[in-house]
Amino acid sequence: MFALTVLYDPECGLCRRAHEWLADQSKLIELNFVPCASTEARQRYPQLNHDLTKQDLTVVGDNGAVYFGPKAWLMVLWALARYRDWSYRLAAPELLPTTRRVVSLISQNRYQIGRVTGLSR
Amino acid sequence: MTIPISTYLIYLAISIALTIWVARTLHKNGRVFLVDVFHGNDALADSVNHLLVVGFYLINFGYVSLALKLGYTIQTAEQSIEALSVKIGMVLLVLGGMHLFNLFVFSRMRRRATAHPYPPVGPDAFTPVQPAAQQEA
Repeated sequence: MFALTVLYDPECGLCRRAHEWLADQSKLIELNFVPCASTEARQRYPQLNHDLTKQDLTVVGDNGAVYFGPKAWLMVLWALARYRDWSYRLAAPELLPTTRRVVSLISQNRYQIGRVTGLSR
Repeated sequence: MTIPISTYLIYLAISIALTIWVARTLHKNGRVFLVDVFHGNDALADSVNHLLVVGFYLINFGYVSLALKLGYTIQTAEQSIEALSVKIGMVLLVLGGMHLFNLFVFSRMRRRATAHPYPPVGPDAFTPVQPAAQQEA
């Protein structure tokens, strides 16, 4: 796998901020950002369930592998030179349930978090 | 030549010879590692190798120089040999520590370069990718 497409939620301030942060990181794998459920996303992945991608972060590999929710977060970490080790640590059986819980919590409350931290415009 | 002066000179000669020997070993054998780390980029590997060896020399000679002072007077040849053994023993330990640290740096660099080509998690599904839309990415 040489590239990952990140389908992010353009409505959410936290996600935009995360996007900016990711742009600055050095990557082992190319990351492309496409707003979820956009025309571009639909064009690129005609058979993907785009309503589902609005609910949680989705990452698609250049081989068509789809990662949804917590797995998508781990894949993004995996793409970063500094955090690849962490992606394995967080995906280990002992930590994966916690990772899932924390990530889901952030994901479900992303609009509130963005509002509270003043990230949403 | 008095005993203290010759003790210092022997100390310096042995320490400098040891440092040069270890540094050369490191230089000669570390290169292969670095070439591998930098994916066959010889120029970069040689450069990093040289810089590491310079740091190695600086730290060791610095230590040798700082540890020169004995702090007590020696009158006999026995005292001289004892003082030398302590001093050179310390130099050897520092050299050993530095050498292991260098090996650690090399192996860490190597591990970084080759670490984990596989994703941490399996995919949830597969979806066809439209190749036409990918060209601008």
